[in-house]
Amino acid sequence: MSEQGQGGGPGREAMGRPEPEELLGELAAMRRRTRSARHAYWFPLVLFGLLSCAAVPLYVAAAVPHLRHCVVLAPGHARCSLVSAAVTSAGNEPVVLGGMPIGGNGFYLGWYWLVALVLGYLLTVLWYRWHARQAGVQTSARGYLVIGVAATVLAVVIPPLASQIGVVARLWRDIPGNLLIRGTFAFLIIAAGLWVLAWAERSVALVITAAVYTGTALLASLYNVENILFRLGWRPGFGDLSLTAAPNVLLPAAVLLIAGAAAFAAQRPRRPVRPS
Amino acid sequence: MSGDEPRPPAADDTPHPTSGLDDTVHQRHRLGVLTITAEAQRADFGYLRDALGLTPGNLSRHLTVLEDAGLVQVEKGYEGRRPRTWVRITSDGRAALATELSALTELVRRHTGPNGASGKQS
Repeated sequence: MSEQGQGGGPGREAMGRPEPEELLGELAAMRRRTRSARHAYWFPLVLFGLLSCAAVPLYVAAAVPHLRHCVVLAPGHARCSLVSAAVTSAGNEPVVLGGMPIGGNGFYLGWYWLVALVLGYLLTVLWYRWHARQAGVQTSARGYLVIGVAATVLAVVIPPLASQIGVVARLWRDIPGNLLIRGTFAFLIIAAGLWVLAWAERSVALVITAAVYTGTALLASLYNVENILFRLGWRPGFGDLSLTAAPNVLLPAAVLLIAGAAAFAAQRPRRPVRPS
Repeated sequence: MSGDEPRPPAADDTPHPTSGLDDTVHQRHRLGVLTITAEAQRADFGYLRDALGLTPGNLSRHLTVLEDAGLVQVEKGYEGRRPRTWVRITSDGRAALATELSALTELVRRHTGPNGASGKQS
């Protein structure tokens, strides 16, 4: 599309106006190239994947195994057929981000997610600004930041508000308890951000990633993922029972890291090539 | 002209799609600027120059036309010591682009439709 008539397509302008079909085709191609150039969502996927992995020791430390149906095989030896390693609260307050504000064993987990979520969203916005300077086209990440930080703040302030304000308490009671009991609500906040980002990026691949991640985040919130591993033959020793909290964290993290690696491979820096 | 005279098949009472084409927008490079800036929150002058294959002077002239028409906003600033110009489409620019694209699509539809000039009818 050069006015200088530098050969090929650009010179067509000098010969007359393009056909509408041709023009629409060029514009569609231009739109695709621009969209491709501004895609940069591999970073938040990898970032939140790593932040999730970094939280594993805290989940393990916070896990309180509930042993049921233990059979004593011999003095000092027992076999337990069901193990639940949910993050629990020492008090009666709702456990949202893993025990905020005072959640017994989950205390540090709650603070970790508060800092990690806010930091992750801010770093993502800074990343998009940096990427825009490199690529020359910018994706708006403002909605992503607003949704992510607002959801995080709500997750922190609603539990104490619920104990003071009846209306909030009634709303709070409508949230299924299983979504909160494992301390994996942070994954749902990350998932909400991914949906907003997928809309901003206009990316089908990110929509698929957000859908898969939301599914695994819900699974991790509603089900003990380690049960799958037990069926596959994993038999942690009695002293390692708290490790059974790890699969619920590692499964959603793996989705983010795999999708992030694939997106990184696909989103290598590219600049538009000047028509020759 | 008799009232019983049959009308040509392509004619109807709707205005011809070319009446929806705005000269400010229809120029293909300006249409390119609007298309790129509509796809992103904002686009850099260098990106537009490379994507459209224009010289800086030509791109500046097109941007001035679009800015004067209120279709884009040009933001000039510095990053460190380097001057940097960003172009952002306005809501009027989005509306003008949508009108232009629908007019072009309608033109194509008429052109390639069963009664169009280049229809496949024998």
